[in-house]
Amino acid sequence: MNNENRFWNRLTAGLGTIGFTPLGLVLLVILAVLPFIPPFNQEHILRWLIMGAFLAAQAVAFDFTAGYINVVNFGFAAILGVGAYTSAILVNTSPVLMVQPGLSPWVGIWLGALLAGLVGLGLGILTLRLRGIFAAVMAWFVGIALMGLVRNLTDLTRGPLGMAPRTFLETTSNRPYFYIILAMLLVVYITLKLVTRSNFGLAFKAIGQNFDAARASGINPTYYRVFNFTLSAFFAGWLGGFYAHYFGALTPQTLMHTSKTVEVLALAYIGGRGSLWGGMAIAFPFVFFIEFLRSNLTELPGLHLVIYGVLMIMVMIYYPAGLAGLYDWAKAKLVSTFSRGKGQGAEA
Amino acid sequence: MEQTVTQRSFLDSLSIKLRNNVPATIVIGLSIVLALVIAVKTGPAQLANVIVTGGMWALLAAGLALVFGVMNIPHFAHGESFMVGTYVGYFVFTPLNNYLKDNPNGLLAFLAPMIGVVAAMLVGAILGAVLERLIFAPLRKRTRVGWVMNTFLLTVGLSFVLINGTTLVLGPNFRGIPRYYNVPPLEFLGMRIAVDRIFAFVIAIISIAVLTWFMQRTRTGRAIRAVAQDETGAQLVGINLGFIHTLTFSLATAMAAMAGAALLFMFQAYPTVGLKPLYFAWYVVMLVGLGNVYGAIVGGFIVALLQTATQQFIGIAWEDVVPTVVMILILILIPSGIFGSEVKGIQEQ
Repeated sequence: MNNENRFWNRLTAGLGTIGFTPLGLVLLVILAVLPFIPPFNQEHILRWLIMGAFLAAQAVAFDFTAGYINVVNFGFAAILGVGAYTSAILVNTSPVLMVQPGLSPWVGIWLGALLAGLVGLGLGILTLRLRGIFAAVMAWFVGIALMGLVRNLTDLTRGPLGMAPRTFLETTSNRPYFYIILAMLLVVYITLKLVTRSNFGLAFKAIGQNFDAARASGINPTYYRVFNFTLSAFFAGWLGGFYAHYFGALTPQTLMHTSKTVEVLALAYIGGRGSLWGGMAIAFPFVFFIEFLRSNLTELPGLHLVIYGVLMIMVMIYYPAGLAGLYDWAKAKLVSTFSRGKGQGAEA
Repeated sequence: MEQTVTQRSFLDSLSIKLRNNVPATIVIGLSIVLALVIAVKTGPAQLANVIVTGGMWALLAAGLALVFGVMNIPHFAHGESFMVGTYVGYFVFTPLNNYLKDNPNGLLAFLAPMIGVVAAMLVGAILGAVLERLIFAPLRKRTRVGWVMNTFLLTVGLSFVLINGTTLVLGPNFRGIPRYYNVPPLEFLGMRIAVDRIFAFVIAIISIAVLTWFMQRTRTGRAIRAVAQDETGAQLVGINLGFIHTLTFSLATAMAAMAGAALLFMFQAYPTVGLKPLYFAWYVVMLVGLGNVYGAIVGGFIVALLQTATQQFIGIAWEDVVPTVVMILILILIPSGIFGSEVKGIQEQ
């Protein structure tokens, strides 16, 4: 009994370091086998799952900045688009490298991620002196400028006509793509969780809560903020690469527009700011709900987006802690009622 | 007499500000140079264009600045107020116009666009009041922690809801009118200016003048300024904060809706029509400093000048890129804007 207990504690602690609770792990396993279980093995539902994972990963990368250093990166979608376009350009015709048919998409997404990371580095430096609303507006303006650039550099990007980048695989099945994006989601989540679990996370939180106090206690805000922006943008660009080589179609409007940032922002907020996992957990049921509405209410276009926005407004006004806050509250309640005196497992 | 005193003090303060304010002097100087270049290269017609667009950006930005100055809300859904205005203008003007086709009536033809603008103003005022009561009042009651950022995100959500709600109800189609006044353009100093543009400009000037008068001369306007300066102090002297907040928001929304209705001949009515005006209104407030209402009026013209110059010399596709880059530079060099902003809580996290 005692041995079992110790094993259990060690397991939860081990999982805790990479950011999972036993419940989270169970959900992940369910998610991983879902594409084989009817009705989820249908292609259109697989697309929903992929969309869910894609949004989930974006929400994690977005929350890494918004929830920790408390700077809302309003140019997030534009940075994602930079990654997507870089990868698409290098993979397709490669006018720069003068090789046909260009790089493999598996290499391209890393280069896209690197360039996006560089843009993030620049944005981090630009917003350095700015706080709160000014930083958000700066990121927004940079996003508008990037989108305008992509729209207008028609030689490279074909502008509003859109690009058709090569896809990762020849197959028309969605299942392999689901495992690709699931793996990417895990990489993003675990990496960012490990970073926030280290001293970096403490420093981020300190900067986010009180900039001056953090600086006074010896944290170098410049370094940490720029680092945070770069990493978040790197992953955004990486995910953008997935988008490019999964859908095989890119336009500035569908990828880089501010409203795309708002979708991710809404997810991250409904999930709970500063939790990383909240937005990830909420993304799947949310995409299903939204897509269900969209496919059943075709005569009411845009209803799903209205619900999206209303939910975000309600959460912001009445329950800013979001899903993560609800979970913590429920757990505290459960712990206090059932396992009084028992050792507590590592928290999520 | 009273009027001239205000006028002088405003000009005085402007000149003092300019003398002590190098960035403002540089920006205004460059703007004048740019205006001259445009006038020489492309003719004075483009300058008229700058003045008309500038008046509208000023009207929009003044509302944005007002809401930020008084309530500390960085209003992202301001463009949607503009959008509502275009729709109201369309739905009021079109039936009137159809009626006029059957029974011509000179007076009504003259008044019809104004009826549209006034209707837009009323709808905007009501919408603003309702939104403030529904969204910001509950949040203010719950917490003021992180207010600026939270309300910013709230208005982002609001904009999202309004755009998609409009798509839901009215569909994504464009609704436009060919023109407001079916008369030949006026000849003025060798330029031909469409009467619609003059109409829009007159609306902008009247609104700005009424706003200035209201803020400077009336008791309620003074109360609004008092709240902008010190909320607690204003409350101590018996100002009803809730009322002032609702009024301010309603006023700003009404101004944006008026701008929307007045510019219906340029922008058609469709769900995302507010985005461009929103961008430009934000450029203006970032240029002059968040929350600076009078600065926003000057800034509106500067931004319109920049926009027209970009259209003329670089290409219409770049018209939002170039001003954005300029505003990024402004944000880097002088984050508080060229006229500075004296707003409480601006450094809030």
